[in-house]
Amino acid sequence: MRPAVCVLAAVLCVVPTLAYAQTYATPTEAPRTTDRKTLTSLVRERELHERFTRGLAAESRGAWADAATEFTRAIALDPPEPRGSTARYDLAIAKARLGDYAAARTLLTDALARDPGFIAAAANLVTVDVMSGDLHAARASAERFIALAPTSARARYARGLLALRSGDLATARADFRALLADDPSYALAHYDLALVELHDGRLDAAESELRRALALAPGYARARFALGTVYVRAGRNSEARAAFDRAAADAADITLRTIAATLRDRL
Amino acid sequence: MGPMRTRWTILLTLLATLATAGGIGVAAELTLEELGRPQLAPSGDAGLLAPITEAGRTGWDCTPEKAARATTARAAELPASER
Repeated sequence: MRPAVCVLAAVLCVVPTLAYAQTYATPTEAPRTTDRKTLTSLVRERELHERFTRGLAAESRGAWADAATEFTRAIALDPPEPRGSTARYDLAIAKARLGDYAAARTLLTDALARDPGFIAAAANLVTVDVMSGDLHAARASAERFIALAPTSARARYARGLLALRSGDLATARADFRALLADDPSYALAHYDLALVELHDGRLDAAESELRRALALAPGYARARFALGTVYVRAGRNSEARAAFDRAAADAADITLRTIAATLRDRL
Repeated sequence: MGPMRTRWTILLTLLATLATAGGIGVAAELTLEELGRPQLAPSGDAGLLAPITEAGRTGWDCTPEKAARATTARAAELPASER
């Protein structure tokens, strides 16, 4: 009787362990085949995986030329989605870092053709166009980005900046206001919206936005400088002097510091 | 050269000097006005989003795709306020 109890106890101890062990996934079937087509496909899959792994490792250490080599080979293997668009997206980053903006643009456009909902590719296309200095193309890319992701902060910010630079104040105002409606704590958007109002001659609105920017980031010297400019235009010279003085004290940029001090001394 | 002509020369020289000084003054003011304008540039552009693994944008926790869709500045990896 006693040995039977011992056996039962041992079985009861082992059963939960067996049950736990059975939760592991079924092992992947070993690729045992002599079929030429299957073997070629397996080799291709393995190489693709290796190219992605090496390419991403190269990008993480800033070795852009090495990354470009890996992703170029990955694209040559013609992977299906999502790897086709992803390889092009990753190669575009390497090309942009190497200064080949035309190639980066083509790759991102191809990535979007393969996967029209690829929002990160749309975002990087705007950045590449800005980096290349082609603001007309950048604006078109920003329109595409915002059509894909109408509530994206990045899309609103990008199009707002491009609109501001080209003098399209209505679009810039709408984009910065929409961005601030979702994220009122973003000081840069208050500053950019203030520039829109300043260009439009709306000094009160500009002052109000700059005060909000400075409440969020008191050391934001460029916003302080802009506030000084608003005061000068409004004829409030003593407030302007104080703003330029503080901007000169806060500015890390030597040009901004020098000009703020010069304007302060002229008032 | 008669005394009349000398007087006229002095007068014209004086007027030319005054006009030049005035012009320089106005130019200096304009230069100061222009000086501040480049400092009122829009804020900096957003940088490139990071690479994506072979799992693609629909893969688990794709940070660049999330940043591209984000509605707040921090999540969207937008520039921070500069000094």
